[in-house]
Amino acid sequence: MLQAVLTFATAVVLMFVLMRLAPGDPIQRAQDDRMMSSQELARLRAIYHLDQPIHRQFAEFLKGVARADLGNSIEHGLPVTTLLAGRMVPTMLLGGAAILLNFTVGLWLGVRQAIRRGSREDRALTVLSLAGYATPSFWLGLVLAWLVGVKLGWLPVAGMKDPLLPPDAPLMVRALDVAAHLVLPALTLSIVTIAGTMRYQRTALLEVLRLPYIGTARAKGIPERAVVWRHGWRNALFPVITLFGLWLPLLVTGSVFVEMVFAWPGLGSLAADAAASRDYPLVMGAALLAAGLVVVASLLTDLAYALLDPRVRHS
Amino acid sequence: MHPWTARFVLAAVLVGASASQPPWAGAQHESTSVVIVTGQQATTPVPTLMEGPQNNLANFEIADHLFLRLAEVGPGLITAGDRGFLPRLARRWTRRDSLTLIFELDPRARWHDGAPVTSRDVVFTYRRARDPEIAPRLAQVTRQIASVAAEDDRHVVFRFSEVYSEQLYDASFHVAILPAHLLADLPPTKEAWSGFVQRPLGSGPYRWVRRVEGQFIELAANREFFLGRPKIERVIVQVAASADARLNLLLAGDADAIDNIPPPLTNYARVEAARHVRVVQVPSNNVGYLLFNQRDPAARDRPHPILAEADVRRALVLALDRDLLVRAVLGQYGYVPFGPVSAQLWIRHRAPEPTGQDQSTARRLLAGRGWVDRNQDGIREDRNGAPLSLRLTVSTSSFIRSQMAVMIKEQLRQVGVDIELVRVEAPVWLQRRAAGDFDIDFSAATQDPSPSGLVQSWTCGGPTNVAGYCDPAADSLLQAAIASPRADSGLWHAYLRQVEATAPAAFLYTQTFVFGVNRRFRDVTIRPESSWRALWRWEAAGS
Amino acid sequence: MTLALIAAAAGVGPLLLPDPLAQPCVLTCRNLAPTLAHPFGTDDLSRDILSRVASGGRISLAVAVLAVGLSVTLGALVGLVAGYWGGAVDSLLMRVVDAALAVPRLFLLLLVLAVWEQVPVAVLVLLIGATGWFGTGRLVRGEVLRLREESYVRAAEALGASRRRVIFRHLLPNTAGPLLVAATLGVGDVILLEAGLSFLGLGVQPPTPSWGGMILDAKSVLAAAPWAGIFPGLAIIITVLSANLFGDALRDAVDPRGA
Repeated sequence: MLQAVLTFATAVVLMFVLMRLAPGDPIQRAQDDRMMSSQELARLRAIYHLDQPIHRQFAEFLKGVARADLGNSIEHGLPVTTLLAGRMVPTMLLGGAAILLNFTVGLWLGVRQAIRRGSREDRALTVLSLAGYATPSFWLGLVLAWLVGVKLGWLPVAGMKDPLLPPDAPLMVRALDVAAHLVLPALTLSIVTIAGTMRYQRTALLEVLRLPYIGTARAKGIPERAVVWRHGWRNALFPVITLFGLWLPLLVTGSVFVEMVFAWPGLGSLAADAAASRDYPLVMGAALLAAGLVVVASLLTDLAYALLDPRVRHS
Repeated sequence: MHPWTARFVLAAVLVGASASQPPWAGAQHESTSVVIVTGQQATTPVPTLMEGPQNNLANFEIADHLFLRLAEVGPGLITAGDRGFLPRLARRWTRRDSLTLIFELDPRARWHDGAPVTSRDVVFTYRRARDPEIAPRLAQVTRQIASVAAEDDRHVVFRFSEVYSEQLYDASFHVAILPAHLLADLPPTKEAWSGFVQRPLGSGPYRWVRRVEGQFIELAANREFFLGRPKIERVIVQVAASADARLNLLLAGDADAIDNIPPPLTNYARVEAARHVRVVQVPSNNVGYLLFNQRDPAARDRPHPILAEADVRRALVLALDRDLLVRAVLGQYGYVPFGPVSAQLWIRHRAPEPTGQDQSTARRLLAGRGWVDRNQDGIREDRNGAPLSLRLTVSTSSFIRSQMAVMIKEQLRQVGVDIELVRVEAPVWLQRRAAGDFDIDFSAATQDPSPSGLVQSWTCGGPTNVAGYCDPAADSLLQAAIASPRADSGLWHAYLRQVEATAPAAFLYTQTFVFGVNRRFRDVTIRPESSWRALWRWEAAGS
Repeated sequence: MTLALIAAAAGVGPLLLPDPLAQPCVLTCRNLAPTLAHPFGTDDLSRDILSRVASGGRISLAVAVLAVGLSVTLGALVGLVAGYWGGAVDSLLMRVVDAALAVPRLFLLLLVLAVWEQVPVAVLVLLIGATGWFGTGRLVRGEVLRLREESYVRAAEALGASRRRVIFRHLLPNTAGPLLVAATLGVGDVILLEAGLSFLGLGVQPPTPSWGGMILDAKSVLAAAPWAGIFPGLAIIITVLSANLFGDALRDAVDPRGA
């Protein structure tokens, strides 16, 4: 636990320093095409403590964190907490849907491929999944939005909900509305990532199915389905669990390109914009969230190893 | 694929498809609402708070629905003189002398909470706007207003420190009026105003309903609006940062209007081809140019080793086929300007034609300054063999400029000039430009409707003159144009000719903004200086 | 085989094809559909896409192979060491990996901008490789944790096999599966990442072609000239698939038990 806290702190300090070492500065960025006078720049620097040495800035940041106040976003002029809170639910919805699709369909297909190794289906799935993986997400997103949204008119092309739907509409109607908006971005995100789950699952299961004890189980006359799922699969889960741990932060970090193409109000595009405009307070707010989840995901992964294989001691 | 897999996919698609059908499809696009998609979401649409980073289009566009100015610039966008402005909160204005303007407020004007708009509101607003601690940018642009005082509840007296042609413009354009009865007692910090920022209350045609972070802002018609009840009941300003998403929303009919469709040209073609969309062209306030650094970026006190020579700068301008650049990237939606003059400045009318490409003159000018290709590698060298090589700094955030830069490199290579493209992120680009760390900077300026803003970048001591441009002859021509009490384009054109003659920059393009609006709306007007300001007069077909 | 073919095409192609930078007729022959003169069509600036795919392949392939090689090696080493030694070594290495995963790559790369104004491709490869191994490291470690408890590894240890022998003869070949998957997927990742970096002013700068960069450029003309993105996209997909085939063959070759 102490280790996790230390890791978290290191990551946050690192990001704080890296962001400030990067060239470009938030105030000059903010003026965009209209240039500001030097007095105006100086005044804005003072407001965001940017005129102080970096350790003082960090002290200000820590003081804020202690008060649960992450300051105001420079670019947006609103409290960072307000901005992050407004984007949490949409981000988790999209990330959750994508991870769910990815790890249910992906695992299932990966196992099928392993069982039918070398078959035409195995090869077709390999080609398709890798083609999906090598396709940039914005590209696939644009094609899907254009085809399904604009041409066919089956699904909404962008946004998270119909803005004309009154906020007091029945819950069911609002949920369906969000679900309809969710389909295309979640599908895009899954297609471009599912190859990872499939490949790791397929490879791991193949490795396990070659082990002596599987042969023993087969020799005992246990049905093939049970051999694969009960004896093989369980031991082929390690890489998949690791992968799941690596993907879990997607729940809060979001996916920049997919959010952009579908105008999904997620944290990914917000944070990327913040980094691009050097909006230090907003970047640090998003960083706190992301670092927290990475550390938690890592703890969960190790815990899952121990649960899955009691012989693995959790050090 | 296994049959079961196929069935699964089919089922997923069907579920998705049926989810987009009614029950609520009927709620979509009632005839009295309009959904506008823009690239950025407003956060602080409150006059006097739109400073620094909050000085952005998204905030201004929402503020223009909520708040009214004393008067508006008329359709001709002529900022000089007292004619051509439209009454808003002020029903009329009179002149006591060349330094004093008196506004008479419209007695029907009301705040959204029913309180009357009085001269106290005007005095309060301008006290804040002219305070450099609160609003440094506004204080700078209204610096020639010496005092604002109430004569009675309905009359406000503006006194100016100088005689000049844009007094009425300065007293009306820069800031809309705030409700003193809600704000005057609050301390002058932004934090104290946070309640007002979350629910702004104004006197304009629309009132605030709600803001959903990252998604949209909803406004509703102010039915008691004293200039006439808006015909469209609800306004939704949705946000989609990607232009592709905005276009898709418009083409799919999920949105009714989008602002400023960006290139590439294929985007324009898509909108033009959509039957349900009307294309509206609006002169832009943008001008793009290659800024030549006349100081050495390595040592700012020395002249630039190559670009300090006016002949070299002129040769670079002549070597460019600017018309081709504009047609290739902007198509018909842009033109080559004469001087740093965007399409919405009134002084652009009847301006001289910019010179076209002339490679032979360009080659002669370069050879005349000693730049000759001595080693036959296609690039010119000076007498010591140093190549004619320049760095062109471009921001990666702009498609137009990135695209043009690649073409410019090719065009200049043809006359023996080597261009090294330095592509950097926007913050780095701005930092280098402000520090004068560039040979050629691919600049873009956003201009106010008033041409007097040219002082900032195009005079010897201009606060944003980063390239060391200084021409006293041009400065005095500019002063004469600004001081003229009438709108006189002849004086302005004399100044622009002087600027073009010394080639401080190659002025490349000014855009025509392209808006798309669903054809079911009538009386669609989009204002160049504030796109949706006339929206309250739009009408939806069938209503 | 296929990989060698692609490499050969990228090597020889540029010598035979038109100049990939030339913009012969910006207004009249841009976004042309594939014809005999331009088998892959032309792009938004009238440049020949076949030439650009061929000459872009040089950089994209070089960056992909080198960067992925580096990151897979690093990931395997760290994963093996952490998983095998366990205890404090494991904790320390994994906490480093956690911290590195928590800092987005973008931040590390932004820092590079502060140090170098113009980054040579070699440095870029180093950077992408050195910042791309964290996930692989965790995957390998997870596998080693499991394998360490397997009977045959236990047996080898009990028989007094040296650590090196256990690691390289027993553990490494059995983690080859996830490593090769990581390498396959990494190839596609890196080619696209390299293009994304050009937005920061890092990486291969326009007008010089690279596959990822061409796809980014083509995004804006998706509807009008799909070939501008399809052909470099196909090049990437074929590369990833051949990397996958190559990986499978390699694994069969190193597998101690045979397939």
